[in-house]
Amino acid sequence: MENKLLEIINTVLLNRGNEELKDLTKNTQLRNDIGFDSLDLAELTVRIEAEFGIDIFEDGIVLTVGDIISKITAI
Amino acid sequence: MPDIFYVDTLNGLRISYSQLIDDLNKIKSFNPYCHQQDYYSIFKSLLISLLIDEPIYLLDSDLSQAEIQHVIETDKIDTAYIIEVSIDKICDQTELYSRINKVKNWQVYLCTSGTTGLPKMISHNFNSITRMVKRSSKHSQDIWGLAYNPTHIAGIQVFFQAFLNSNALVRLFNLSNDVIIKSIINEKLSHISATPTYYRLLFPINKIIPGVRRITSGGEKLDLITTQKLKDVFINATFMNVYASTEAGSVLASENDIFTIENEHIGLFKILNQELYISPELMGKSSSFNLKEDWFATGDLVEVISEKPFCFRFVSRKNEIINVGGYNVNPHEVEEILRSIETIKDARVYPKKSSVLDNIVCADIVSSDKSLTIPEIYKILRSRLQEYKIPRIISYVETIQLTRTGKQNRS
Repeated sequence: MENKLLEIINTVLLNRGNEELKDLTKNTQLRNDIGFDSLDLAELTVRIEAEFGIDIFEDGIVLTVGDIISKITAI
Repeated sequence: MPDIFYVDTLNGLRISYSQLIDDLNKIKSFNPYCHQQDYYSIFKSLLISLLIDEPIYLLDSDLSQAEIQHVIETDKIDTAYIIEVSIDKICDQTELYSRINKVKNWQVYLCTSGTTGLPKMISHNFNSITRMVKRSSKHSQDIWGLAYNPTHIAGIQVFFQAFLNSNALVRLFNLSNDVIIKSIINEKLSHISATPTYYRLLFPINKIIPGVRRITSGGEKLDLITTQKLKDVFINATFMNVYASTEAGSVLASENDIFTIENEHIGLFKILNQELYISPELMGKSSSFNLKEDWFATGDLVEVISEKPFCFRFVSRKNEIINVGGYNVNPHEVEEILRSIETIKDARVYPKKSSVLDNIVCADIVSSDKSLTIPEIYKILRSRLQEYKIPRIISYVETIQLTRTGKQNRS
């Protein structure tokens, strides 16, 4: 699941013309570390929902990769 | 001029006006609920309804029973309403026209998709449905391509334009590109009327077709790239944009994307919050119209070019604008940019719900050459579009979804 998440995050980065990430940690911050803006986060949530069937931003703020993993594993 | 009424290459039909009259003379029954696949049968039903001056309900052949029940509140259309007819023998075309010109009560009922997505019926009388038909000896040599569904208003208008001038009508709707191009060339078409989406899907044509004299476009906004591609193929054609809807019929025509309201029609149109409103005087009849103080809200957003003369151009459909976190994205603008990329043949831009922003913009693209990667497409888009307008998800697809009318399906 972490690999798939890395692939999705890298798709968002590559399509924006940014460098790919080699790995992720649970503490990696979506905005501060990866540099995602609101459009990137909106795309990320749609792509994650298509893959894992969960809207990660539906009920609250998601700041880190760990927050996403918690939401996905909670289903 | 050869005596030809209708040509349908797919079904091997070549019907003359004489045969049409023979066939009409043989008809002994009529079902006002016309739910048929065969275009020639639809035309015969339409003409019989005119000859007996009775209403006709034109239903798309692919409407489901549930949809039919919704619009006409019956599911027994095949047999329950058939009436016997006994028309006096029609001797020739002159007599056919003279009898049709005498209609008083005739109405044609058509389906419109309606704002909720469920079809609704709207009726037009003979005058409103033929409002833009040009009937004169100047048009006696025209040969028309039918590139619309014949049960839809644009298809019926093309039918009447051809029929009332004794022209040949050649089927171009729901055929493969090869058959369409062959039909245009072999049948020596002079006039084609279609949606911009229909024209776009014809490309690449790789031929010059000098015989076509008039290309009419309607139902959607025609973009400049498609116009130029059409001009490169139909080198002798003049271009006409028609603004029409099922509710109002054809109301405006222009040789470019700017529509001018003539002084005598100035009271029939108004613009409120960028949206075009049409006076009830121009409307067909239906209980389902979205009327505001008696004016029909078209749902079409326009940009006023000048007040005197009153000129405007269409920008988008109101319900097509995509809200991305408070920014409005016009899908037509994005599609036009996507289509300007050489390898992209067609594009469909649509919203996808996102809980972060209201929507994100997505795009399906059609291309016969997929060597251009998605990141490369993004690189091009970044130089041509503001960030919030760039589709966040772009997918290569084989075909673009179309509505029954042949317009892009944006739902």
